[in-house]
Amino acid sequence: MKALRAVLLLVLAAAIAFFLYRQVLQPKRIAADTITVYYCKADGETLVPWKVSLGPARDRKSIAFYATAQALAGPVTGVEAIRFPPGTIARSVTLDGETATVDLSKAVESQPGGSFAESGEFKALVWTLTDLPGISKVRILVAGASLAALPGGHLELDEPLARSNW
Amino acid sequence: MVLALVAFAFGCAVPARAQSAKNYWFVGTNLIFAKAQIRDGETAVAADDPGLGRFLTKLGASLAYDPGQRYLIVTSGDRRTVVFTLGDQRYTVAGITQSAPFAPYESGGSVYLPLSALAKALYVLPVEQGATVVLQPQVGSLDVRTQNSVTLVSLRSALPVKFQRTSAAGDERLTIALTTLGTSLETQRRVTGSAALRGLTFQVSGSPRNPTTTVSFDVPPGSAHALAPSRSPNELVVAFSNRPGALAGPAVPATGDAASGGTALAVRSATESSPSAPTNEYAPLPSDVPAREALPPPPLQAAAHVTAIDAIPEGDALNVRIGVTGTVSYEWHRLSDNRWYVDLKNAVLDTPARDDQPRSPAVLSMRVKQISPDAEPVVRIALSLPSPRRVDVMASAGGFTLAVAAADDDQAQRVGAGRIGSGAVIANAIPAAVPALPAGPSAGDFWSKPAPTPPPAVRLPAGTNARLIVIDPGHGGSDDGATHNGLVEKNLTLDISKRLRVLLIARGWQVKMTRETDVDVFAPNDSAHDELQARCDVANNAGARLFVSVHINSFTGPSLNGTTTYYYKGGDASFAEAIHRRLAANLKTADRGVRKENFYVIRHTTMPAVLVETAFLSNPEDAALLRSPAFLQQVALSIADGIGDYTSNATQVNVPSSDSQ
Repeated sequence: MKALRAVLLLVLAAAIAFFLYRQVLQPKRIAADTITVYYCKADGETLVPWKVSLGPARDRKSIAFYATAQALAGPVTGVEAIRFPPGTIARSVTLDGETATVDLSKAVESQPGGSFAESGEFKALVWTLTDLPGISKVRILVAGASLAALPGGHLELDEPLARSNW
Repeated sequence: MVLALVAFAFGCAVPARAQSAKNYWFVGTNLIFAKAQIRDGETAVAADDPGLGRFLTKLGASLAYDPGQRYLIVTSGDRRTVVFTLGDQRYTVAGITQSAPFAPYESGGSVYLPLSALAKALYVLPVEQGATVVLQPQVGSLDVRTQNSVTLVSLRSALPVKFQRTSAAGDERLTIALTTLGTSLETQRRVTGSAALRGLTFQVSGSPRNPTTTVSFDVPPGSAHALAPSRSPNELVVAFSNRPGALAGPAVPATGDAASGGTALAVRSATESSPSAPTNEYAPLPSDVPAREALPPPPLQAAAHVTAIDAIPEGDALNVRIGVTGTVSYEWHRLSDNRWYVDLKNAVLDTPARDDQPRSPAVLSMRVKQISPDAEPVVRIALSLPSPRRVDVMASAGGFTLAVAAADDDQAQRVGAGRIGSGAVIANAIPAAVPALPAGPSAGDFWSKPAPTPPPAVRLPAGTNARLIVIDPGHGGSDDGATHNGLVEKNLTLDISKRLRVLLIARGWQVKMTRETDVDVFAPNDSAHDELQARCDVANNAGARLFVSVHINSFTGPSLNGTTTYYYKGGDASFAEAIHRRLAANLKTADRGVRKENFYVIRHTTMPAVLVETAFLSNPEDAALLRSPAFLQQVALSIADGIGDYTSNATQVNVPSSDSQ
């Protein structure tokens, strides 16, 4: 009888441990085969969602990086969209709680002066990343450093961006 | 060398070995892949190899990889993404899955990927030539489409296309030689379903290092051809049609590049060319220009709900209060027979439809109904007015209010549009065809109509100088801002700001500028944070009542134009509205509306703050306006008038004329 109770307790403990592992240690794993990426139309306001197939890697960090890269690339040439300057890439994407930190290459600074483009670019990036489960804020770094705004820029970047900023 | 020794020493323990001396040649230059390895007989290049960086740069492509995650993502010059996954042999090019000779792998702190697969995705073919591998740029894709008797042939290549027409003008076949490009596309392609093109063939000549691809189009007699606009310099588009007049442009010229195809096709799709005839009684008049372009529908929004409609007489005027949940786009029209209607886009009417006569002399009748001209639900509220009355759409608690004026107004606008949500006007567009504001004293009357929901009295925080306005001329000193068309943003913002200062001082305000000359406010070549915070500090430390930052917009393309007014803090929307209304009415620029934006200077200032983006200096028409002192004066005047409107609406501290402050 005692042995049976012990076995039952063990099974229960294992079940709880498994549940915790699924729910806590692997939170919000993406099950879908696609993610939604946004681009901003040239009107500066309309965001257009489009579905992009995921590759085989499904861990959160890979997916966040993938989503960032797709948002930075934007739609193929010919689609009228507000785009990050050519050569803008993600140097790294790290996740900390609900905040994704995106480190952009210096190329992002290569078109100074346009608040309009700046806004559309970052809006699309922020909407893309915050579409992923568990991410609600996006911190922007350029070449590894935090900055208040792009040189000659307008958009505040020293605090994480969220959808509510627009 | 060391790598080679190490690889040799470990023998088959290391699956890939260092590259033996192999040269890579790409469009006139030798490429050195310092970290190349051979894997399964194929070249593997390291993602962080400077040689690969040079190769990608020449192609306008870039590669992104971050250790710890598994994707390597290459973006081509025409923004196709090529996605490799560590440990997986499959890769995708613009979403289409392909198979690489081997899976990308990690070795010695670098990740390696198959050069041939990467090159192919970027339309480059490795061709062995003795000890050298020539990376030959290719015509990599062919697309043929026929629509409305026009056949479009699109050729995409690794590099910008340069061509020579080798056939004579009257020849039966059209042949085009594409220099420096090879191709591995199938040599013959039959085209079906086109009366203007039977097929085409590719022929590659020259050497591997200097190839030429000749494209020969088999054209039936009577078929004409023309260069069509392409989406990028790497794409060549040729149009064929045997219908007279279908092609607007001249025939393919003797030499050119992709950009030569600037001519539009004469034939557009049938749906574009025949607008549906107006069928309902409230169709816009032809002279009315809907502001749709200026104000696209809000994205990704569930339908808004109209929850209440109440007609509330106010003396001889009438306020129609409309309760709305969610954000709604609207467009209103005033017809010449004194009917006025507003359409609430993507909105569902939760109250019963109505058709009645509110007890007010301001309207004869009011009708509300759900209509659905397209798939989208629309709520239409239509008023029959006794005479040409002005009707204002204003935000109010829980929705918005249509304010029908008591008196006649022949000058009232005929059409307008905007977006309203949570009791605030999010964006408002007034079409360019708005009659100019009457000059002189009547201009005041035009705006000073009694507001049905007057803005709350402004309570100024302690330490505020109620007479002081800070003007922030954007950029300056080491920061030029945007430069285009021979115009420099920092100079224009200072010019406008100085004009604005003169006007405001003349109207009794005190004015402080964040800069008065061409200088940095903080220090030359300072950080954006220091510079922008310094501008905010000027206003915050002086206890300014209002803050206006003057900017000129720009964009990478020339097409965008117009005026935008930005705010960030919740309470500043009405300030931005007031200024923008004047700008939109007075300037001959496109109206891009009022927008909330996370801009530093309007966020970190403690008083009501706006940032005005006057016009786009990247747009030729706007640039021409910005060259005119009259325009710059008009901008300053509009801002000054907007400040006047805003401060006279905020009734209790009606400075500067009041001395009680």
